[in-house]
Amino acid sequence: MRVALERLTKRFGTVTAVQELDLEVRSGEFVALLGPSGCGKTTTLLMIAGIYRPTSGTIVFGDRRVDHLHPKDRGIGMVFQSYALYPHMTVSENIGFPLELQRAVPKADRESRVREAAAKVQVDELLDRRPGQLSGGQQQRVALARALVKRPDILLLDEPLSNLDARLRHDMRGEIKRLQKEVGITSIFVTHDQLEALTMADRVAVMRDGRLQAYATPTDLYAHPMNRFVAGFIGSPPMNFIPADLTARNGELVARAQDIELPLPPAQRPRGNAAGATVGVRPEHIALVGPGEGQAAGEVYIVEPVGREQIVDVQVGGRVIRVVAPPGYGGKIGDRVGLRFAPERLHLFDPQSGDRLA
Amino acid sequence: MAAVVVERPPSANRWLAALPYVVLALGTLPIIVLYVWLFYSSFFPRVEGFRPVGDFTLDNWRFLWDPLSVPQMRNRPPIVPLTVNTFIFAAMTSAIGLLVSSMAGYAFSRLRFPGRRMFLGSVLLLHSFPSVTLLIALFVVLRALGLYDRLVGVILVQTAFALPFGIWIMKGFFDNIPWDLEMSALVDGAGRFRTWWRIMLPLVKPGLLALAVLLFVEGWNQFLLPFVFMPSGSQQTLSTLVKGILGEGRFVDYGLLTAVGLYYIAPVLVLFVLAQDQLMRIYAGGVKG
Repeated sequence: MRVALERLTKRFGTVTAVQELDLEVRSGEFVALLGPSGCGKTTTLLMIAGIYRPTSGTIVFGDRRVDHLHPKDRGIGMVFQSYALYPHMTVSENIGFPLELQRAVPKADRESRVREAAAKVQVDELLDRRPGQLSGGQQQRVALARALVKRPDILLLDEPLSNLDARLRHDMRGEIKRLQKEVGITSIFVTHDQLEALTMADRVAVMRDGRLQAYATPTDLYAHPMNRFVAGFIGSPPMNFIPADLTARNGELVARAQDIELPLPPAQRPRGNAAGATVGVRPEHIALVGPGEGQAAGEVYIVEPVGREQIVDVQVGGRVIRVVAPPGYGGKIGDRVGLRFAPERLHLFDPQSGDRLA
Repeated sequence: MAAVVVERPPSANRWLAALPYVVLALGTLPIIVLYVWLFYSSFFPRVEGFRPVGDFTLDNWRFLWDPLSVPQMRNRPPIVPLTVNTFIFAAMTSAIGLLVSSMAGYAFSRLRFPGRRMFLGSVLLLHSFPSVTLLIALFVVLRALGLYDRLVGVILVQTAFALPFGIWIMKGFFDNIPWDLEMSALVDGAGRFRTWWRIMLPLVKPGLLALAVLLFVEGWNQFLLPFVFMPSGSQQTLSTLVKGILGEGRFVDYGLLTAVGLYYIAPVLVLFVLAQDQLMRIYAGGVKG
């Protein structure tokens, strides 16, 4: 079922948590609300759930306006960060609780529905246990089963993976994604972890300070960040930002910053007549070359091996530029190196507004 | 959860560890001595100081099986109805108090209604209000409502006095339950009332049990209200009987008094022994796990 938020605003006293948010989620789509803590993503989710009442704006499910409806009348299932399993009930009672409240489901059907939901997330062996006797991963699965058992139109997940350890998180990431596609349910999840958002979601809505910053597919967000905040937030290690002057030389536009000179290919030229820009370039789009080669020269400041690759901080003039080097890179601290920037991978942002120039 | 075992060097520290027990034992001693005295003096004709006089006898307990032979009991309702009255009084104040406290505590904990802070404040104020000062006003109110000299009236008054404490205790327990659980119940399809009944109440069960016991004991021990508002007999409680024996004429039969007193406190003692764990939780506060 399609979900549409229109000019959705939520104020708590004088604090505006969410401001004029417009967002549309297509039927069957898996969308992530991504942003740093306090950006309003959870508030948005709780408004969709019906737990918070919007200060203004509308929420539409399908063709039906729902922002005045109680949570129970919205046809949603939700998984909470803490899982929020009822500690005094067994796993099967937990999963069955939403059905207990639906008069349309006769008692006899309940048990089979509970079994079916439990089997879907592989907790059918645990039905008689209590939440306190389950591991974090198992609790997570039970919470998923409980959210899905009443066959809701929309599934909401609030930081579903943040309470799991790294290994389990990786497994559950794949599993939730598979489950979402299998059930085909429109889903919205909240996370502060860009990796989760990029790997799981069909589209990612990046939020900051209650406002939507960008809404695009993971690939688009990575390749064409709409502004400097998104560029810096998406990608790990984060993008390098270099304030530069733009000057024309021999009919070619060049971005200059102290010891760095970057000729801009025609496609990267900003619209209009900007005199300066913040140049963004991802660490994986800079290559380490011999001293004197490339567009900048510097000195290795630190080398961090992260298994598959190495992250090298290079000091260029007064700033540090981060570069991803291949696993075989044997540089040491203090080595003189050159940096080669991939010209077609440069991003230009307005120094004041942070908007994308090219 | 496994207990943490702290390894200590023996000797010196052992004495230090015993110190709190010694202090507590010394402090409790007078109370224990008095209870022991109360116990054995009910089985002897007379006691001089701490020394029993005469032979062991069940004579003082005669009021249980032959009340008419006890002069002090003659003009009073029989012991069984008195006990039943006391029980009804304590049980009803406990039940009504529990119901209202758990609902009001939930509302104070979870709902942001106008005047909430003022309500909470005035509830506290009421708690620190000495009930004696309200006696005359209550008398007028009970008379006007036709509840004077009736058990129902006293039950209502006693419950009202117990509510501030109960509400604050229950609010504390509800405060400890994560919001997520409640939001989850709402999303799962429960309304406010069902959330309270199916999710919240079971989670504050330790609090409910403890409060039930405390309110019951408070009702059982209550003297002033039954004494003042039920003067005429048939609906009196045990505490007024004890008072009656104390105040009958110039001569006080201490043997009888101790026996009736023991009979009166026995249920409370049993209840405390049974409910110790629950009662501790009221002070420890909150839900485990």
